Amino acid sequence: MLVFAASDKGGTGRSVTSANLAYHRALAGDDVCYLDFDFGSPTAAAVFDVPDARQAAEDRGLHSYLVGDVGEPVRIDVWSDTEHRVLRNRPPGSGRLVLMPGDLSGGEFATTEDNLRRCVDLLLRLNSEFDLIVVDLSAGRSYAVDMVLEATSQREMRGVEFRWLVFHRWTRQHVAAAASLVFGKRGIVAGGVARGHEEEALRSVIRFVRAAVPDPESALWSQVSATQSAWMRECDRDLKQLASSHGIGYSLVLGSVPLEPVLQWREQLITDEDVLDSQIANRETWEALSELAGRLTDDKYWEQA
Amino acid sequence: MGTPGWSARPVLACGEVRTCLLPSFQALDGRAAAQLLRLRADEPVRVSERPNLYALSPDVLTGVDCRLPTSNGAKVRAVGTVAARAALTEGRVLQATACFSAPATGPDTRRPWGHYLVRPGLVEPFGKLPEQAAAEGVLRGGERGELDLGMIAESLLAQLLRHPLLDHKPPFKSRRTHLRWAARRAPRGEGPSLERFTLAEDGLRTVELRLPEETPAAAAAGLCEDLALHDWLLTTVVHMLDNSRLGAVDGPSAVLALRPAVDHLLHLWMPRAHVDRTLGHLWDVLEREPGFTRQWQTLVQRIRDQLAVQAIPLLHEALSSTR
Amino acid sequence: MTEAVFRETTAQPRTQAVPLAHLSLELGHLYMEDFEAGPGRLREHFAEVRIWVDAARAAAARRLGGKRPRISTCFLVDDYFTRFSTPAELVPLVLEEAERAGLVIDYLARESGCAVADKIEVAEAVMHRLVESPPPGSYGSRPPVSQTGWLANGQRTPATRGAMAEVTTWQPPQETAARNHSVFMDVELWSEKDGQRLWSCPFLAAVWQLARLGLLRHLGEPVLTPRPWNGGDFPYDWDRLPPLLQLNASAAPFSAYRTCTLMANRFLAVEDAVRLILDQTDVDSGALGQIAERSAREGAAVPAAVAQRATYVFYEEPANALSAEEG
Repeated sequence: MLVFAASDKGGTGRSVTSANLAYHRALAGDDVCYLDFDFGSPTAAAVFDVPDARQAAEDRGLHSYLVGDVGEPVRIDVWSDTEHRVLRNRPPGSGRLVLMPGDLSGGEFATTEDNLRRCVDLLLRLNSEFDLIVVDLSAGRSYAVDMVLEATSQREMRGVEFRWLVFHRWTRQHVAAAASLVFGKRGIVAGGVARGHEEEALRSVIRFVRAAVPDPESALWSQVSATQSAWMRECDRDLKQLASSHGIGYSLVLGSVPLEPVLQWREQLITDEDVLDSQIANRETWEALSELAGRLTDDKYWEQA
Repeated sequence: MGTPGWSARPVLACGEVRTCLLPSFQALDGRAAAQLLRLRADEPVRVSERPNLYALSPDVLTGVDCRLPTSNGAKVRAVGTVAARAALTEGRVLQATACFSAPATGPDTRRPWGHYLVRPGLVEPFGKLPEQAAAEGVLRGGERGELDLGMIAESLLAQLLRHPLLDHKPPFKSRRTHLRWAARRAPRGEGPSLERFTLAEDGLRTVELRLPEETPAAAAAGLCEDLALHDWLLTTVVHMLDNSRLGAVDGPSAVLALRPAVDHLLHLWMPRAHVDRTLGHLWDVLEREPGFTRQWQTLVQRIRDQLAVQAIPLLHEALSSTR
Repeated sequence: MTEAVFRETTAQPRTQAVPLAHLSLELGHLYMEDFEAGPGRLREHFAEVRIWVDAARAAAARRLGGKRPRISTCFLVDDYFTRFSTPAELVPLVLEEAERAGLVIDYLARESGCAVADKIEVAEAVMHRLVESPPPGSYGSRPPVSQTGWLANGQRTPATRGAMAEVTTWQPPQETAARNHSVFMDVELWSEKDGQRLWSCPFLAAVWQLARLGLLRHLGEPVLTPRPWNGGDFPYDWDRLPPLLQLNASAAPFSAYRTCTLMANRFLAVEDAVRLILDQTDVDSGALGQIAERSAREGAAVPAAVAQRATYVFYEEPANALSAEEG
């Protein structure tokens, strides 16, 4: 299955969260591939802690592949190439975790026939090899978004299942922007329909992920004053109201990831060790990511809203 | 590859085979296989039904004019055509090969293109060919800008995978393997031999051969496709057994994970089925060590045992419910 | 080693041979404008051609060392780009004018037969056989001729690519086989209109050359094979005329080791494009081998490159060609 990770703006935690989802699925035994289509600002190498990836992707990454400079994009086996102390020990029963980095120098580019064909070829190929393919797309209605919308509308891709995750932060601005990215005049749905996707079908495979959500009930906020606490609850309520009035209410939300200092300050994978031993990350975050990872392929969460 | 017997006798033949599961829910029958591999409207696909279903596409050519990969850094420009072909075994396993032969020496300037086109699959070096360095270079893989057989095989595979016959719903996920091979000319009077088979990482395998002058590159390609096919079967079933976590997880889910092997792979083992008669015996050294067929039989036995063990509780249940 | 006991016919395809003359001599290529110019134009044409026919025959005999060469003549009518007249009206006229000049047309072909003959998509099949001449630096990426529909003899002026690519100044195209300076040519092989593919004149002419050189096969069988004429009337519909008709029962075989084409010099560019196409066509290797072997045995060994087997005479058209009513 293909999972496209999109976001209304930068700074939503899209890359780091989707990388963590990939990691969780691999832990659970799936063969997972993570594609960095965030042309212009590739971050995956940092998130997976594979500095070699930067080197390798100098001119052989996804961007070079899509414009036809190389026959195959570079692949990095995260378990064996990461410098992360914990990740280096691949747990028994885990699946493969492969990163395809973007190019360091590669910026955005226009979608041509040839680029599109190579994109389709790559997705088809990965689909027969991996259980889950996470495609991290540049923020907004980018070329990357257009290209995968176009690619998934091709006849060859008919048999390939795909889903969209739209990440947004839990603020008034972000809620409105995320709704517009999907349902707006120039949004994903409109863009998809223009490329031959069936509207209902496309809508049914799009879900939202609320990122960096402060949970008023969390221990993190146990020290705040009663007034602050009440204010937070009110804001949260208002935001829920707002989200539902923008058509991205509860039924379209796949899950939320709590506000997590580790994700905010140092984009990285959160391992069980971070939660249990060093305790730098919150258990709630780990659980939220794990739950979200499970829901990616749980049809119950993808039934018609 | 039907090279008309003019001039330039090759001293080196090299190729790369890519092997993958056909991404379709059901295996293709002979007719559909022929349809898939019809790379040219006017040339037939070869289809055999004995001893197993096997279809082989006509060759398609790609023109090249670039440096050959060499292990010692020697810069040798070469011009000619690389032949590519695809094979489908039992409508299930798809392979694409790109290969070329090279003579010991070639002209110092590029000739008109028509000269190369009537020598399909021949790549002529400018000046003298550093045989050993070029053979090693191909096996190791070239630098950017050097002849890239993998790219040619891959683009043929990609073209086939876009065929409307394929639904892209494979019964299970599997990795591709790449097998690179290089065949140097055997000393006069000696028969063909398989010098080395190397299992490298990331699904890469390399094969070194020595072949007499009269062995066509197509026969070498056929042998290497057969080796690649069986190596892929081993690789894939081993991975499947690893992933099923036999013994670690409860019975039924392990069985579920192994089911595709029974449905789609176990009947495919048939070394030498379509290998040129003069090369079939090269399998013997691999059967002695490490023993490809021996490993396969063990894997098959393990899967069958598991299925049998899992069937016992079901049998019990059935018996007790009839009482 | 002993012969294999077991054989499967579908696993071992064979290429059927075709009968071959020494020379296929084309006496003309008729377009609508030639027809509209009236019978005088045809008369003028054949009178001019007659001189060169004698020269071509003499050259063929000289190559064979004085032996009598097998030569067949042919004539091509365009019914692909424009439909005009009917076979019933046109063919007798052509035959009569040829005879007046002392020429015999052995075979008559329709141009659309080079696109589709007897339900076989001949042009499409030839298109699949194009193998582009690689410009230096080609290491394995296949240029997508089947997508662009253009074929060149070198490297085109690079297109500017991508929004982020830096702006570059114009660079000249380059002929791959250039000697000091380039003669760059880019040939359109087909165009598409309303989902219909229209093959270009040079591409069909290249197919026509391959047919005359005996190099076309479909699944190992010859295509565009001559159908005998029973001497009766010609039909009123081009589609009912066989794509290749044998008018002279005692003619030498249609296909030949070499071709010679006699035509007005306005076709020079088209035929140069034909050579460019032939130079990048990977013809059936079975047929190629048969012809190489047989021609060598007959002491008339063909050049290895297919395009080298085609020769031409481009003659000057009459100055008043288009108005030469009374000839």
